[in-house]
Amino acid sequence: MNASFEEKSTWIQLVGTTLVLGGYFVVAGRMLAAGVRELPAFVPLFVVAVVVLVALLVAGHVVAAVTGRTDSGDERDRLIGWRAEARSSWLLGVGVLAAITALVLDVDRVWVAHLLLLALFLSELLRFVLQVVSYRRGF
Amino acid sequence: MAGTRVTNRIRTLRFHRGEMTQQALADAIGVTRQTVNAIEGGKYSPSLEVAFRIARVFEVPIDQVFGFDEDGDATGG
Repeated sequence: MNASFEEKSTWIQLVGTTLVLGGYFVVAGRMLAAGVRELPAFVPLFVVAVVVLVALLVAGHVVAAVTGRTDSGDERDRLIGWRAEARSSWLLGVGVLAAITALVLDVDRVWVAHLLLLALFLSELLRFVLQVVSYRRGF
Repeated sequence: MAGTRVTNRIRTLRFHRGEMTQQALADAIGVTRQTVNAIEGGKYSPSLEVAFRIARVFEVPIDQVFGFDEDGDATGG
């Protein structure tokens, strides 16, 4: 793959986050659909998801480091990161505002927690996608 | 493909430096080979500092490395 270590890292984070947190939301969605409303019931699933995500990211970066150069990021990597963050952080903001609105409306906290987590997940996903697009297409 | 209107003659200048590799140029100016490739292919406009470093490596004035094309054709010379 003709990619810098930073680009490979972005791909690893994109794939890892999509698989693990996507998987979390599939399972959590089924639990919610089944009527589970106790927030602590989701904690083991969340902990497993975080541990698996960290393990995947570490393994992916180790493979990337072993199979290619590990140049530290340069000005292009930083610019791509800043641009992607500037264009994706609004999603997290929308999620926070939606969560505050849900709290005002006295919505069950299990929904509020998952709304916040979903907003974080989607904003990160958008950031990684924007980074990958910038790496591939240029800007 | 998104591109830049900043044109460059890096490919030609590398050829005249004994077919200098992108990696050698990248090492000389402190960026990754992929960034040199992106600059050369018109996918990325470098900072002024990196542009000056490139010109210094080739020992030419900066305007012999970079130009500006109103039509958006990124790869000159």
